[in-house]
Amino acid sequence: MGLLLVALFIGLSGYNVPQAFSALFIGATGLQLVPFKVNLFPLAQSLAQTAPLLFTGAAIAFALRAGMFNIGAQGQMVAGALATAVVGAWDPALLSPLHIVLCLAVGGIAGGLLGAAAGLLKAYRHVHEVLSTIMLNYVAADAADYLVTHGLKERHSMAPQTVKISQAVYLHPLVSGSGLNAGLFVAVVAAVGASLVIKYTSLGFRIRTVGENQEAAAAAGVNVPAVLTTTMFISGLLAGLAGSVLVLGLEHRYIKGMTGTYGFDGISVALLGGASSVGVTVAALFFGGLTSGAGYMSLQTNVPDSIAIVVQAAVVLFAGARTLPWRQRRQPAPVAKPTKGAFAPVDAADD
Amino acid sequence: MTDLILSLTWGTLYYATPLTLAAMGGVLSEKAGVVNIALEGFILAGAFAGVCAADVSSRYGVFLSNVIGIFAAVVVGALLGLLHAFLTQKTRMDHVVSGLGINLLASGATQYLYLHEYPQGLTVTGIPRWMFLVAAVVLPFIVQFLLVRTHWGLKLRAVGESCEGAFMAGVSALPVRFAAVTLSGVLAALGGAYLSLADDHNFSTDVSAGKGYIALAAVIFGKWNPLGAAGGALFFGFFYALQTELQIRHISAHFLGISWTNSFLLDMLPYIMTIVALASVIGRAVPPADLGREELAG
Repeated sequence: MGLLLVALFIGLSGYNVPQAFSALFIGATGLQLVPFKVNLFPLAQSLAQTAPLLFTGAAIAFALRAGMFNIGAQGQMVAGALATAVVGAWDPALLSPLHIVLCLAVGGIAGGLLGAAAGLLKAYRHVHEVLSTIMLNYVAADAADYLVTHGLKERHSMAPQTVKISQAVYLHPLVSGSGLNAGLFVAVVAAVGASLVIKYTSLGFRIRTVGENQEAAAAAGVNVPAVLTTTMFISGLLAGLAGSVLVLGLEHRYIKGMTGTYGFDGISVALLGGASSVGVTVAALFFGGLTSGAGYMSLQTNVPDSIAIVVQAAVVLFAGARTLPWRQRRQPAPVAKPTKGAFAPVDAADD
Repeated sequence: MTDLILSLTWGTLYYATPLTLAAMGGVLSEKAGVVNIALEGFILAGAFAGVCAADVSSRYGVFLSNVIGIFAAVVVGALLGLLHAFLTQKTRMDHVVSGLGINLLASGATQYLYLHEYPQGLTVTGIPRWMFLVAAVVLPFIVQFLLVRTHWGLKLRAVGESCEGAFMAGVSALPVRFAAVTLSGVLAALGGAYLSLADDHNFSTDVSAGKGYIALAAVIFGKWNPLGAAGGALFFGFFYALQTELQIRHISAHFLGISWTNSFLLDMLPYIMTIVALASVIGRAVPPADLGREELAG
């Protein structure tokens, strides 16, 4: 359905639809069917796009389990990237792997703190997390812009960027020239880890309980505000790691605007991927390929690559409609998790 | 000094205009029980549709092209509003998911069409800003009258407070909610048309820059009351105006080694104030009881 809509879109604006789609496919997978050829580079580029999407997708999926919409992955990612760039440039005379771990940890915590701020606002002041995280996105972006043009700016450089990080913490490309690096493995581990926490720990159980029914959870003795805050911290941590990996593997510094829209794209990843880590991984692969393929398509056929956003919208609208009439018959299981929730919680009036 | 106060006042009024228009849409939709994150997308789509239609029809003269531009914004807003109503009411999609999807759709489609149709950018003659300002001043009172004094307003509030209760009283929720959400699309799109036709005379991607969300914050700030929401819009408009004035006048304030009047830091002002306002008010605000609930009866 979504693809049909997009085909209509491209076709109506006067482009050659099959040509555009084949360019999209080649750009995404590196597979050329006639004549058959496998290019490693486009595939590596798609996988490189997958890594940050997997982080942000897992981050948003994690918060969804507690019934929270973390739209703030974008800002949390900016915080993570900037913090990593600062720690990466610092030379602590540590072994390189330890320094990398330190960079990741600091990036994750920076993102986590921003997430926790939204969690606290939700838990104690009943500020809906969608509004607070969106506002925090703007705040984080502006604050980062300020820092890289003032205090943290590389001296003698015109560009709004920090100094390069130490070579010791570079994540090197796995396919030469591409953006694919070990960050993808970190992302997979983080995504799987997050779903293990949800499934097998007592915290995960409390998170799921809060997500299903806050009042019941509170009645059963769960400290709901604490769970909401912790969930948002972990979610922000995952999103912050996306920024860390971009800095360590790709840009090797913080540059204004380097975080793209991975934070927002993660929303589609999480909604399409649903609750499981496998689902989120597959969704991240799909959108990674889509983003990378759309870039290639726009080079080849001049179709603006904003079309990728339209595809995402289609996915959210179709995957999110868990009981579309024609879907109900074939697919009993809901695609999106249950986020019951009045906009400002109704229980605000009760307690 | 009087000069500063005067320009701050006008700035507040003009920045509050699109916020008020969108916030009135938000009040109607949320009073009827439909969460409306999609205001942002309505604004963006309305901005593009307005300026695009005005540009296409520019050969018919300024007046007619403006009328056509407004009309296009209204139609696109109504269509997106209908989509939001359909998704939340007919397919029972989560209201926030539907809103996010519509925002993504508006963002992607306007960006795509803009880059595709106007790689060089576009400029239109546009509409004087005061026309929208008049609308924004009058509208809260009209919406207030509509909600409190009319039969339809009573039905709308009943549907938002309790779907079952309304159903028992013989009011079917669906038509009321569809009308309310469609109308909210129209109003928010008018706010968008203000941004593109009256304020900028052109279009830029992401011209809405979170104004839909801030309008929603104004609704909550005003406790779901039209006049209160307009007050909230003025409140946020003031911080936009303050930020612009400080930037234009190069007023500098150094403290702790930080230039607090740097443009990036000033840009944060409306957003931070939104968070502060929400955190300080919402504990006391009571939303419509059935807000965001799926419609069960009818």
